[in-house]
Amino acid sequence: MSDSVKVQKREGREIDGLMDAYFEKPNRLTTWSGFPVKDIYTPADVAGIDYEGKIANAGEYPFTRGIHSNMYRGRYWTMREAGGYARAADTNKRLRFLADEGVSGFSIFRDLPTVWGIDADHPMAEGEVGVSGVNLTSLKDMEELLDGIPLDKVSVALLCASSLAAVIFSQYITVAEKRGIDIAKLRGTIANDPLHSRYCYGKPSNPIDLSVKLAVDIIEFCTKHMPFWNTNSVNAYDMRETGINAPEEIAFGFEIAMEYIRKAIERGLDVDDFAGRISFYFSAGMDFLEEIAKLRAARRLWAKIMKERFGAKKPGSWKFRFGVHTAGSSLVPQQPLNNIIRITVEALAAVLGGVQSLHCCSYDEPIALPSEESQRIALRTQQILAYETGVANTADPLGGSYFIENLTNKLEEEAVKIIKEIDEIGGMAEAMRKEWVDQKIDQAALQLQKEIENKERVIVGVNAFTTAPEDKTPGGVHRIPPETEREQIANVKSLKDTRNRKKVKETIKRLREKAQMGEGENLIPSIIEALKAYATIGEIQGTIREAYGLSYDPFGIMKSPY
Amino acid sequence: MEKRKRVLLAKPGLDAHDMGIKLIARALKDAGAEVVYGGIYVTPEEITKTAVEEDVDVLGLSFHSSTHLVEAPKIMRLLKEKGRDDLTVVVGGCIPLEDVSDLKKMGVQEVFGSGSSLDDIVDFMIKG
Repeated sequence: MSDSVKVQKREGREIDGLMDAYFEKPNRLTTWSGFPVKDIYTPADVAGIDYEGKIANAGEYPFTRGIHSNMYRGRYWTMREAGGYARAADTNKRLRFLADEGVSGFSIFRDLPTVWGIDADHPMAEGEVGVSGVNLTSLKDMEELLDGIPLDKVSVALLCASSLAAVIFSQYITVAEKRGIDIAKLRGTIANDPLHSRYCYGKPSNPIDLSVKLAVDIIEFCTKHMPFWNTNSVNAYDMRETGINAPEEIAFGFEIAMEYIRKAIERGLDVDDFAGRISFYFSAGMDFLEEIAKLRAARRLWAKIMKERFGAKKPGSWKFRFGVHTAGSSLVPQQPLNNIIRITVEALAAVLGGVQSLHCCSYDEPIALPSEESQRIALRTQQILAYETGVANTADPLGGSYFIENLTNKLEEEAVKIIKEIDEIGGMAEAMRKEWVDQKIDQAALQLQKEIENKERVIVGVNAFTTAPEDKTPGGVHRIPPETEREQIANVKSLKDTRNRKKVKETIKRLREKAQMGEGENLIPSIIEALKAYATIGEIQGTIREAYGLSYDPFGIMKSPY
Repeated sequence: MEKRKRVLLAKPGLDAHDMGIKLIARALKDAGAEVVYGGIYVTPEEITKTAVEEDVDVLGLSFHSSTHLVEAPKIMRLLKEKGRDDLTVVVGGCIPLEDVSDLKKMGVQEVFGSGSSLDDIVDFMIKG
């Protein structure tokens, strides 16, 4: 950092300090991902780009400018805010609150015991039940969660990515079936990305092969029965959050998706029958222009991969459809109201990047669970962008910008290089087994931290423009009362005592038999049968694990009662 | 020369946000401390057992899923039972400001929330 660029506390407001401030200028002349940026971009920087072949109008291959010809003039992006905490009834209440405030889709977060597939009364679940999401031990919880919500009318994103997605997805459609709703009409998304899961939730409860098998079960089931359901939301977001850069986000996300696609084809599905329902979950971070270019580059590259590598013929299979979650990692607890501004910039990048579904973080996320007030502001951020700014009136308004087009090309080229590297390793699952991905992520995190420590990267309120530490959280802290956990554990215990044990036993036995029939046997129908008998997630996962030669309990504490 | 500090780092519970604790492990090693990496998904019992067996001077605990007020008191109680309440216990992660005094009341020496500088954390753990 040059001497004239002093980013430091300026509490004294002395004249010297003001003069320093007057001469300050950007000190990091690269993008977030490290691409050098020039003084100015001119027609020379986009010379030779074939508009029809490389950019094209929105709605036309390779979709650089968007997947629909008129983009948001047809329909705004889906405005989602996530809910999920405490008891199912509490989450239900929050979903209704969000619906009243004007969300156009729900996102439901589950707690960590659910991600791991252990019941609320498992000893390892203590302190975690209903804390970072809603606890979904049994179908009863899903029934309460969805009480009064018209499943045939709303779009619901179930944010369970681990291999428990198969059970949570089955819980959801079982509730719909029990209400007499034709599941073919259901609209929504199941996260269903167990490969990424290990970089977000750590060591997954199930090995890679079994996880991918269950992910493909969902794809196969939806392909046959649920045409409007998004079978996967391949999560590049969580990986980006660790500190990897924008082209790595594209490459890692695409390589993960390709694993599912290859396995689904091996299962006997035609790529054009399912590829159109695979969606992505990307980040939007603080480098506004780079993030826009990233989303454009991703659209172009995915179209090419689907057409050329997988031979997909339907335009629907070529389209990179994605949701954005603004970057939680960019938010800081210091002067937390500033986070509202960060979230706004990121959300605007997502919209200018052509997002299909957007989730804005809440400003209090680095501190605690979002409060109603902070979630309302997150939703209002989306609404202000949509209804007040005019940015949704035309497709890809930044298309044709010398800088944006140049950067879009660079990001695509770099992502292609990384994809080639992963292909040479043998694909993403192999790169994960060899811990190549882990090394990349660890390196990136360390590098990022160093750059923050040495102030190469400035974070307002953290390493610049700091104020005296706050001793209270503005807006207060949203907490889960401990009785919630005790109540849920009691509910689960009482369910286990009162359900029809014979029926549970029978359905678990059938599930076990099906699971023993090998990878090609789709387990969703038998999971649904077990759920209807109120078998729990722990029992269902445990039974499948045993059939695959694993311990019943991923923690090795509980034994199978069956 | 001063004896090298032995530090146990661990992350109790089901949460896996281990980037912070891994960065601190590396920074402590670089600063000359001996680091015992207790890892993630560990129980209070396992943490206390390791702290005693490895005879550490400092225990660093990381929390990101709001379980600090459930797990930390258990660990402090177990340390007392084992006669190791002399240990310097440091907590880091996603900790609401309102909880800092509660943690300190139960014997936690210092709390470093997100955005804390690595240097400050390392200094405190090695010299503090």
